[in-house]
Amino acid sequence: MIINKKTGSGITIIAPAGRLDAATAEDFLKSSSALTDPQSIVIDFSGIDFIDSSGLGTLVGIAREKRRADADVKLACLNEKARMVFETTQAFRLFDIYDDADTAAEAAAKS
Amino acid sequence: MKTLIVIREKDYAWLLPFFPGVHPLVVPICNKPFIEFLIDFAIFAGSKSVRIVSDGPLRSVEAYGQTGSRWGIELGYASIQPEDSFEKIMGKNRKYASEGRLLVISGFMFIAYRNKEELGSYFSTAPAGTLLQHTLGSVSLTGMPATEGAVPDTVPFTISGLDSIASYHRLNADILKELPSPYVLPGYSNEPDCHIGRNVVISKGAEVIKPVVIGNNVQIMKGAVVGPFAVVGSNVIIDSESTVSGSVLLDNTYIGEQLDVIDRIASGNMLIEPETGISIVMEDPHLLTGINSPNLSGAGLLRYLVHAGIAVLLILLLSVPFLLLFPLLKLRGKWITKRKTCFGESHQSTISLAFPSISGNGVLCTLAEALSLDRFPLLFKVLEGRIAVIGSNPQETGGNTGRYPSLAAGYRPALYSYAEAEDWPVNSEEGAIVERYFASHGGLFQDLVLVVKAFLNRMHSKDRQ
Repeated sequence: MIINKKTGSGITIIAPAGRLDAATAEDFLKSSSALTDPQSIVIDFSGIDFIDSSGLGTLVGIAREKRRADADVKLACLNEKARMVFETTQAFRLFDIYDDADTAAEAAAKS
Repeated sequence: MKTLIVIREKDYAWLLPFFPGVHPLVVPICNKPFIEFLIDFAIFAGSKSVRIVSDGPLRSVEAYGQTGSRWGIELGYASIQPEDSFEKIMGKNRKYASEGRLLVISGFMFIAYRNKEELGSYFSTAPAGTLLQHTLGSVSLTGMPATEGAVPDTVPFTISGLDSIASYHRLNADILKELPSPYVLPGYSNEPDCHIGRNVVISKGAEVIKPVVIGNNVQIMKGAVVGPFAVVGSNVIIDSESTVSGSVLLDNTYIGEQLDVIDRIASGNMLIEPETGISIVMEDPHLLTGINSPNLSGAGLLRYLVHAGIAVLLILLLSVPFLLLFPLLKLRGKWITKRKTCFGESHQSTISLAFPSISGNGVLCTLAEALSLDRFPLLFKVLEGRIAVIGSNPQETGGNTGRYPSLAAGYRPALYSYAEAEDWPVNSEEGAIVERYFASHGGLFQDLVLVVKAFLNRMHSKDRQ
């Protein structure tokens, strides 16, 4: 899985590309260091074209760990397919979703 | 110009018990979904793009509005959290709001106007800021006007509160009173106060008194009187010698013979008195009945057959252990059964289910739980077609979550939940996410595999203990 990283407002913006499913979820966790980074993070979904229940489970797991450590995970730039999965499963109730990664990073830095 | 429509779940929660299974944003007002009135307003104001933002589910709204191509606009959807402030909502939609002017309609309210032509000219010169403020919401503008001109003295629209079933009923009547109507109402209209849909049969001797709005596929039998101020939805039958006036009949309603429905709202088999909000669910199918038929055709029938087949196999497998262990546990007082009323799969339906629980830690209790014997009585409900073998955890009707499962995708009460199969806690938010994911993405073969996983998971969970 290709994962791009950049920093905005002092917050790491992780931008995975491709599928976030059972086959890639573990790779995503390791490569993105989403869990090891003690700060809040932003996950930019603009490159994700498929997400399944394992991918969702991974995101929920990251969110739970971050909140336990007084940090958070913000999501940004969900495309229609990914947004539909969040809508169908009502996972949108668990995350702050932005339409722009930089604004999400600003919000994460403030919180 | 773009429009952001912000509607929070708490603002429309009052409407859910009256129209269960129907998303409040698509509840019809004069046979037209509520959200369409707001979209019309945005278009008349000059918007080319509309985004609907909510902290509640938008799936059924999206299924209705889709991409907005039917209105010639771009229609999008986004999510917020219940506690988000106005500034945070604007931040979450910054990219969308960054170009040009933005009209923000915030709140669950009806925007009334007399002349749609006035709206375009008003918004082309109106200054940024809050244009109208109401206890239920507001209409505001951001960005500078494209053309310079004199700002009109008066705002050419008003906000009508939509916060009770009485206001909903009143709104239907108010729209019918407006002549000529500034709103685009569905149906054929040769006269300004009479809109009639397709395939409407008005029998000899039946009388229709204006103003009325009648939907598609409606039968008005002999001697029936419809109107004045009647809103009749689609797929409605008004049987002979009945009177419907000052009332709103929602889709799929059957009004039996010789009934007077005056100043009421009828939704399926529920009759609502708008001023008090008191509703009666009519049990007699000959009086007032939802005319939806159960989905036992095509894919529904195939699914039933597969699930019933799995249930028969489980009954054969578990009947001997059940017959041996049940009397022993019952005699020792370790088998306790509680009956609960849960939401059914189909629109507005409920089912009464007996949920046995096994208390205690002995060998017999462990064995009974590992073999899922507490689920054994529910297998017969699967054979009746009332529940599925695997699907959603049955949700009690008495629960005060404010979230109706029928608004969620693919709610199907079942013996085992998908969350159990995937080893997630059943009553957690994460478990609910897994249930909804498989309910909308699963197939029959997957159901079979997940039943086996759920069955084995229960055995392993007992091993772990």
